[in-house]
Amino acid sequence: MLLPAAVLLPLLLLLPQALHGGGWELVGQFAAAALQPSLDPLVLQSLLRGLAITCAVALVGWAVSLVLGVVLGLASARVVWQSLSGRCWPADLLARLLALPRSIHELIWGLLLLQLIGLQPAVAVAAIAIPYGTLVARVVRDLLDALPRASLSALLSAGTPAPTALLTALGPPLLPGLLSYGGYRLECALRSATLLGVFGLGGLGNDLLLSLQSLQFHELWSGLWLLLAVMLPLEALIARLRRHWSMPARLSLGPQTQRRPVGRRGRQMLVLLGSLLLLAWGAARWLQIDPTQLLHWQPLPPLGQGGWQEALALPWPSLIAGTLLLTLTAAALAVGVGPLLLLLVAPWRQGRALLQLGWMLGRLWPPPLTALLLLFVLKPGLLPAALALGFHNLGILGRLLREACSAADPTPEQALSSSGSGPRLALLYGRFSRVARSYLAYGAYRSDVILRETVVVGLVGGTGLGSQLRESLSSFAWQQIGLLLVAYALLTLVGEDLSDRSRRQLLGA
Amino acid sequence: MTALLTLENITVRGRCQPRLDGVNLQLRPGERLALLGPSGAGKSTLLAVANGLLEPDQGQVLWHGETRASRARARRRQQRRIGTLWQDLRLIEELTVQQNLNAGRLGAWGWPRALLNLLVPLETQACRELLLRLDLEPGLLVEPVATLSGGQRQRVALARLLRQEPELLLADEPLASLDPRLADGLLALLLREGAAPRALLLSLHRPDLLAGFDRVIGLRGGQVAFDMPRSALTPATLTDLYADAKGAAGVG
Repeated sequence: MLLPAAVLLPLLLLLPQALHGGGWELVGQFAAAALQPSLDPLVLQSLLRGLAITCAVALVGWAVSLVLGVVLGLASARVVWQSLSGRCWPADLLARLLALPRSIHELIWGLLLLQLIGLQPAVAVAAIAIPYGTLVARVVRDLLDALPRASLSALLSAGTPAPTALLTALGPPLLPGLLSYGGYRLECALRSATLLGVFGLGGLGNDLLLSLQSLQFHELWSGLWLLLAVMLPLEALIARLRRHWSMPARLSLGPQTQRRPVGRRGRQMLVLLGSLLLLAWGAARWLQIDPTQLLHWQPLPPLGQGGWQEALALPWPSLIAGTLLLTLTAAALAVGVGPLLLLLVAPWRQGRALLQLGWMLGRLWPPPLTALLLLFVLKPGLLPAALALGFHNLGILGRLLREACSAADPTPEQALSSSGSGPRLALLYGRFSRVARSYLAYGAYRSDVILRETVVVGLVGGTGLGSQLRESLSSFAWQQIGLLLVAYALLTLVGEDLSDRSRRQLLGA
Repeated sequence: MTALLTLENITVRGRCQPRLDGVNLQLRPGERLALLGPSGAGKSTLLAVANGLLEPDQGQVLWHGETRASRARARRRQQRRIGTLWQDLRLIEELTVQQNLNAGRLGAWGWPRALLNLLVPLETQACRELLLRLDLEPGLLVEPVATLSGGQRQRVALARLLRQEPELLLADEPLASLDPRLADGLLALLLREGAAPRALLLSLHRPDLLAGFDRVIGLRGGQVAFDMPRSALTPATLTDLYADAKGAAGVG
């Protein structure tokens, strides 16, 4: 579990070379400003408006993706096709087709749609809804096809029409898993909406970027604390609801063996879901989203002659190698550093609290902003990009690790402590050994997300396919963009397959 | 009186030997028929053919003297009149007892009521009466089935079956995993509910439980070894049925 942290060694060796002289003063100012956020009413007003836009975009994008995901998930589930028509191949075909939109990061969708349609509120929403919807569809399909079918076949053989039988036999067991995943997706949507803002699609992210670029650190921190004030209660609320309804926790990625009754909780879940969708409808009205905007494409600039040759002449091997190296480094950082830090601070209470705060900031903070900040002291290249991505994902994995550790049985650790082992060893042997498998399995899944996210830091001048994509986008080189997207999609699909395999191996399923 | 269910010369092919080999069987309303035979004799296959889960390779299944409908809707209407008590019960664990009972009505209900059943309690009175008839507390209606005991679950599954209002009850070794007291209780209920105007076809592996049945069929190696009124059954016939199987047990 600690092995991935070994990546720190080469990074620490590289660090002195990558440092450049200036900028430490700025970093100091930035850190100091954390405790003195700007309270200027004008600033706050603008930030609050940005925050409202970000939240609204996240909510609407999430709601659309959920509806889209459930519909597509049903349409690509084998059990549905099997019961309705006796054939499975349309489900498999659709599932394969859906892999393509899923493999492209929401930011790329955002920038593509921005180029095609122009700056409209619907663009940010669609950028979230398309990849998220297909992700939800995959989860719905997997959940549905993994459910036991005995009760379904009992209903079918009693002469129940297939749609009704599917609804009654598979609906109730599907709901908790779907909502648990949906809650997690809402958190993700808020992060994505902030990120899209950083790249000019409106909302708080935009304000954050402008403050950082103009070195207005006090304003920057006001925005960050505001974002934190929304994110924290949201995370707490979702975790609470998950416990209240005894839904599967996120770290239990294996097949769900325990089937819990839904009964009256099912009604509460549906009411909550319904009111959230209504709220999303209200938010869409407020943002003045008009879905027909998505149909009005701006005229594309004519394709240049010889564009394909130029596109093929790009340094593909080094671009792909850069992307992979970036992924591996960031993933190793994200997976390995969490347990290491937790072990180091284990004896101190304040240390643990501080760590929680650090991880929270990591989750909250859009990686391109971290990368920009790191550029104050580091030379551009792989290192700031990997650190920024690693820091962000460390925040996500760190929280999972803490949740899993606190949910794990404390008795082995108590037994070890009482036999005189130090707190660190007790934690390592007593708890880490229990959660290690599922944590690493989640880490494998996360690496696949990180691969998709490399584009985010690539776009602020990191390395790999992402930075090339940025150049191609800004010069309207559509052939290059097309090939880059294909390369990205292929890479992601291969990565997804690899991470799936290693996860299955780790979970022994 | 036309037979409720007629199996004519049914053959179902298996990997090495036929699972059913030219089986003929008629079941009239009011008849309670026990299906006996060693493991692998074809009891489960015969029940699967009877409830339409399995299509025979040869022969035909007649329901009220007519062949099985080929169109989906008409086929479903036939299926609705045949109720099966599954060995693994196949209750929907996430739902309450009442929702599970109403699942038996889904064939007759449309979409809106099926959806409503998941949200609010429907037809409480009918469900309550059914539970009382099967010696269960009506208070169980609101309980999730996952919290019930084994014996209660058996009865809830039977209640769901009765909610379907079938003309024929099928059960594949329903007593296999029950302790003697529960087995006796469930069998008594099945015999009572399977009486006229319904019919009951039940597979068993314990010849000592035949008391309440009208007719007994012995299956061996996919063929009917005997088909006689229970009163005509002698211990010798039974010994023959199982003795032969011991020699061929490995084939199963």
